[in-house]
Amino acid sequence: MGWRAHWLLACWLPLAAYGMDPGKDPVPSVMWSYYHKQYLDNAPFVFDERVKLLAPPFAEDARQVPLEIDARAFKDEVVKIIAWAELNPLPKIVDFQPGEGVLPWLAIRIRIEQATPLRAAVLTKDGLWHVGSTLIDAAGGGCTAPSVVRSQPGWEEHLGEVLGGRYPRSDFSRLRLQVAHPMDNGMVSGIPEFYINHAELRDAQDRVLARLELFAAVSENPDLAFDLQSPGPVRLVLRDTSGSQFEGALP
Amino acid sequence: MKLLLWLLLGLSLPALADLDYALKPRQIAADTWLLEGSTDNFARDNGGNIVNAGFIVTQAGVVVIDTGPSRRYGEALRQAIATVTDKPVVQVLLTHHHPDHVLGNQAFKDVPIGALQGTTTLLREQGDAMAQNMYRMVGDWMRGTEVLLPSQTVTPGVQTFGNHRLRLLALSGHTGADLAILDETTGVLFAGDLVFYQRALTTPNTPGLSVWLADIATLQGLPWKVIVPGHGPVATDTQPFAQMREYLGWLDQLMATGAANGSAMGEMIRSPIPERFAAISLSRYELIRSVSHLYPRYERGQMQRIDQ
Repeated sequence: MGWRAHWLLACWLPLAAYGMDPGKDPVPSVMWSYYHKQYLDNAPFVFDERVKLLAPPFAEDARQVPLEIDARAFKDEVVKIIAWAELNPLPKIVDFQPGEGVLPWLAIRIRIEQATPLRAAVLTKDGLWHVGSTLIDAAGGGCTAPSVVRSQPGWEEHLGEVLGGRYPRSDFSRLRLQVAHPMDNGMVSGIPEFYINHAELRDAQDRVLARLELFAAVSENPDLAFDLQSPGPVRLVLRDTSGSQFEGALP
Repeated sequence: MKLLLWLLLGLSLPALADLDYALKPRQIAADTWLLEGSTDNFARDNGGNIVNAGFIVTQAGVVVIDTGPSRRYGEALRQAIATVTDKPVVQVLLTHHHPDHVLGNQAFKDVPIGALQGTTTLLREQGDAMAQNMYRMVGDWMRGTEVLLPSQTVTPGVQTFGNHRLRLLALSGHTGADLAILDETTGVLFAGDLVFYQRALTTPNTPGLSVWLADIATLQGLPWKVIVPGHGPVATDTQPFAQMREYLGWLDQLMATGAANGSAMGEMIRSPIPERFAAISLSRYELIRSVSHLYPRYERGQMQRIDQ
């Protein structure tokens, strides 16, 4: 390799890592650079259509908006996935770290306060963030609406109840879980923050298969779905901000 | 300055004049008139006129069925009635509490406005939020519109207005409180939103699709000659009932199968819509809404307690 090649390589490498063209933002956003700094620490990123972030075009119920994050295009390369709703007063939704045997796919329901861009940033092993984006329209008010759970008499007795199911597919199985919890986000007058903020999917040997940090944008009675490749029984262990622990077991 | 004022006036006048529902009553049976709305969604270019309202000119005066989506619509309806008859409006009947059927009430505040008890309760609970959403979707057409609650509770049975015997039925499939009106004199059935025809049905308050299916059977069994759906064209055959049964059955099956397979809500709203419903307006839009309203019930039926 001649001096010219060395010089080219020296210039190109940092460019590839840090000056890479992220491409055009697919959604109109006034907040991207803020969140890039806040959540991704200004790390290198690309807007990437291979990260599929799927939401309905409008929120029929702004307190229960179904969201799917699909990073299966980066299978085995995914370190973590962070999702947020840009114009929410409490934007962050989830920090999901799928381990071995858990597909980088997650379905979750969220609250949105108004029409907003949604983002899912997938960190791959090479240190690059791949950002999937979509837009959702809404009449609004999902984050500040009074709790539905709390309006039901005796809700405290059901706190932490877990409903679940395991549904076999061709080469994996779908896990679905719903946890009874008001997920108070602190935005309703007189009710402080009280929500499930941590969850782990563990196998029969208590090894962690996937780890999730949950945030206040997650809906009441959180609804989660995973796709699991490894067979055998699993448990989802959850913890809320008051330190209570809940769990559900799927054979 | 004067020129500028004239210019502004010139720009704003046509905009205001454009907000005209241009309601043209069409006779569909003896003494019976229909104001047929489009099968589109609420929008700024239709003023929310996506609904069928009607009136019956009896010897005792005019009976109005539903008042439309806005105060402006209610006023236009009243003017339209006056082009057909000199008789006074003596009764308003509301089929259910949804905004496109009741937000014209203000134009009839001098007349008894009758509804089922459940309709009044639901309108009291949900009316302001629904009206707010209408302002968002329809804009300036809504100006001055406020919720006016019914002034009279109607009960099922036959009520006579002059020469017309109206049979009132208290059903529940669409909202929990749905009034259907069969004019026994003419055979015209005002089905309210229990029947949508060529327009996808809406489910925000339904107690369940099976309840709705039972109501369809009840309605079809009546001695009707003409069906006025809440949305979509008038019919004289059983087609609207057949379509409702097909569509409700499909929705029910789709969600039952989805829940049994552990499908996520987002996957459900992307389900393919069968070719046979291609002529039905807004089916994708309403599928997204219906899944949001109803799928949680189906899901819970396919999950077990796993925390013990």
